[in-house]
Amino acid sequence: MIRKSMLLLLALAFSVIAVAPALAQNPIEVKVWIAFTDGRLDWAREKAAAFNQQFPQYNVIIEGYDNYETLFASTALAFENNTQPSVVQYFEAATQNALDAKTASGEPQFKPIFEALAGREEVNGIRADFDDIVPAVRNYYTIDGQFASMPWNTSSAIMFSNANMLEAAGVESIPDTWAGIEEACAKIMAMENAPAHCITWPNHGWFFEQSVAQQGAELVNNGNGRQARATETFIASDAAIAFVSWWKSMQDKGYYVYTGAQRDWTGTYNAFIAQNVAFLIYSSSDTTLITKDAREAGFEAVASFMPHNGDVEYVGNLIGGATLWLTNGLSKEAEDAALTFLLWFSNTENAAEWHQVTGYIPIRTSAVELLEAQGWYEENPNSRVASAQLAAAKPSSATAGALVGGFPAIRNVVTTAIENILVNNADVVETLKAAQQDANRILEEYNLLNG
Amino acid sequence: MNVPIMAMAAAVGAAYMAWVFRQMQRPFWWGLGLGALTGTLGSLLFMTPLDFCTFEPERKPMDNALGVLLVLAGVAIVSYPTGWLARYFLARGEDRKALRGEQVKGAFNAPFFVPLLLLAPTLVILALFLYYPALDLFRLSTLLARLGTPRTAFRCVDNFSRLLDPNFTIVTLGLLIAALVILAVMWFLRRRGDVFRNDVYRTLSSVLPIVLLFLLLSATLDLFEANYRSVVFSTFYIAGWTVSLGLVIGLAVAYLAFQPVKGASIYRTLLIWPYAVSPAIAGIIFFVMFDPVGGIINHVLGQLGLGQPQWLKDPWLARWTIIIASVWKTLGYNILFYIAGLQNIANDLLEAAAIDGANAWQRFYHVVLPGLSPITFFLVITNITYAFFELFGTVDFLTRGGPAGSTSIMIYEIYTRGIIEFDIGRAAAQSIILFIMVIGVTIFQFRTSGRSVSYGA
Repeated sequence: MIRKSMLLLLALAFSVIAVAPALAQNPIEVKVWIAFTDGRLDWAREKAAAFNQQFPQYNVIIEGYDNYETLFASTALAFENNTQPSVVQYFEAATQNALDAKTASGEPQFKPIFEALAGREEVNGIRADFDDIVPAVRNYYTIDGQFASMPWNTSSAIMFSNANMLEAAGVESIPDTWAGIEEACAKIMAMENAPAHCITWPNHGWFFEQSVAQQGAELVNNGNGRQARATETFIASDAAIAFVSWWKSMQDKGYYVYTGAQRDWTGTYNAFIAQNVAFLIYSSSDTTLITKDAREAGFEAVASFMPHNGDVEYVGNLIGGATLWLTNGLSKEAEDAALTFLLWFSNTENAAEWHQVTGYIPIRTSAVELLEAQGWYEENPNSRVASAQLAAAKPSSATAGALVGGFPAIRNVVTTAIENILVNNADVVETLKAAQQDANRILEEYNLLNG
Repeated sequence: MNVPIMAMAAAVGAAYMAWVFRQMQRPFWWGLGLGALTGTLGSLLFMTPLDFCTFEPERKPMDNALGVLLVLAGVAIVSYPTGWLARYFLARGEDRKALRGEQVKGAFNAPFFVPLLLLAPTLVILALFLYYPALDLFRLSTLLARLGTPRTAFRCVDNFSRLLDPNFTIVTLGLLIAALVILAVMWFLRRRGDVFRNDVYRTLSSVLPIVLLFLLLSATLDLFEANYRSVVFSTFYIAGWTVSLGLVIGLAVAYLAFQPVKGASIYRTLLIWPYAVSPAIAGIIFFVMFDPVGGIINHVLGQLGLGQPQWLKDPWLARWTIIIASVWKTLGYNILFYIAGLQNIANDLLEAAAIDGANAWQRFYHVVLPGLSPITFFLVITNITYAFFELFGTVDFLTRGGPAGSTSIMIYEIYTRGIIEFDIGRAAAQSIILFIMVIGVTIFQFRTSGRSVSYGA
């Protein structure tokens, strides 16, 4: 008898546990993985908290990863274990991979947001308004005219100059060509209290791609992979050889300093702030921080366009940064929850504020207008540069940027080759040719499995 | 099916088993029959999943060679245990027990399944989380497989043969000649008579394992194509120095800390401290210290007027930075075990040596060192494992394998292939090569120094 009632009690307890959450109307969870662990993660979390307050039926949880590469790999592994979040931030180079990525059962890993929106202009009262997105972003991320992912952080490669050092060396205007940089460096290094070196930038594939695009050259075939799936890379193109040769010559003259590691954002940043170099080519994503840190270090950092090859026509720069991808297989409610957050997260106010705290460009025309009206650009001229640089680009397949499978791996091949040139004095042309072969093999294998 | 290859395997198996049967004084044709069977089965061990792809007509000689090696390995894996079993069943009662390594008299006497039962939980966990993934690694290593792509393509042994390009260098040749000369001299001395007191013989016999080790390392290096060869070289170089310096310094510090001085326990605690730091944190600490611009090392060197070495930019200096960081990291562990080992050395042995007139160095060399040999043996194995596998965190935070791949050790290369480039197949192949190497080093250890280890009476 006692045993029976115990069992009954137990059954009752279990059913309460099972039913309770449904009764309590727990908010729908939206897990968002992003590739930041610094102030940018804090900002995103602040925004998520504000969103959760505005939409109590949803609960957005943001998790930070060290960098794009780590997040990219962690997501791929999460899909293998079926522990993927609702939204993932994928960097621009992973766009083709994200489009092709499949789960073990053969389902696409991501759902294009235009598909999830299914023609809706707004979700939960938050307007999509894709016409408001600035052209540079639209050119890169739309595939067949539609957004597969939601733009968030968009940057470009720009140059920062130590204005005090330039003035002391008698460099009157900030150079905008490779030859101009060399001339300025000659003057700076001839000073009595010259810095250890003149210029630096991280050995990241992105700067290589920027320089190739600036010269109007494509990185891969088939219209930079935008007319049809790319099947061949042009890593040893004339434009690439010109850039890497110039890079090497700058190092040989003692102007460029290599910090010794690939993708070294920290070391190059510190060299500029410590005034060990006069110029830093960097991502505009840290414009606000660089300007502030420089001021605290006692000098003025001035932003300008990334210098280009003066011997050929300059056609403009590429974007960088990342977009937010919606994972596939969510319930309708969870998908709408994620969509609501994505649209809200990049609305005019948030886009403007995100630009102010970081240096990523405001991705909406309305955000630019808002910032103009607030007088932000008057006070912060450095913040204008990245947007202006992107707006100045002539629309073409070169400046749209490459869409290619296995791009992160190809980037790794490129930076490894460049490192070999910088550290071991390997021959530029031969090394790039070998890298092109490696990259073609990666692409061929990628297309074999995904084509 | 590939009849000639299977016939070859059957012949090898038959020859081995015939030899076993003759040793056991049984008719050798029984062995021939059994061996032919194990040989055939052995050839199928690797070749069934591979479907004899290495012997297809369009394959390169390298693939054929790898195929032959795989067949032979399969034959060995099947035939050797069968040979052992055959010996066991053909042996007489007493010999059987000796083969089983069983103690005739012992405190623990239980049915044979009891130990197995006690081991079962561990074995289940090992099978599930170690052996199964390890087996899956072999499957992956034959595929063109990318992370996030369910589709795969069969690639036979391409992932391996792409890494190989045997090319024997003059260094290997020199070492081979040196080893042969030493062996010849030793053989000659032994033939002449008593070698127990012969100093030359003793020196040679202690030099021989070192020459053999270097010969083995050099020959291994020669197997690989240029890019992967430099990876393997960096691995050997960094691991070699990490292990040897770590042990020597560890023992020296432990010997000092073992002296009965005031507050010895505090020193010991502080000395073991670095072990508690994770390799990644060690990487960050050393990155900050060795930063050429703002690091403390170059600041001090600058103050002393010794210049500003570019620690992380020069390939050799970068390797040494990794070595210094990892020696520092393992030091606490080595000290811990050496202090424990020193406590186990009987004082009366040292006293007896002192009474016999041995000075401090002689006491250390002839009493303490042999007494520590089990600990040293254990530490060599654990340190090698550390240097091969755990250094990943240090490398990732210090140099990311740079400059120009000079610190990209094998484990880091696997990470680059698999996680950065998403090429799971090639990463799996490299993992297997690393796995084979670590097993090889461990067997070498057991064969050479393992024999001279004294575990006391």
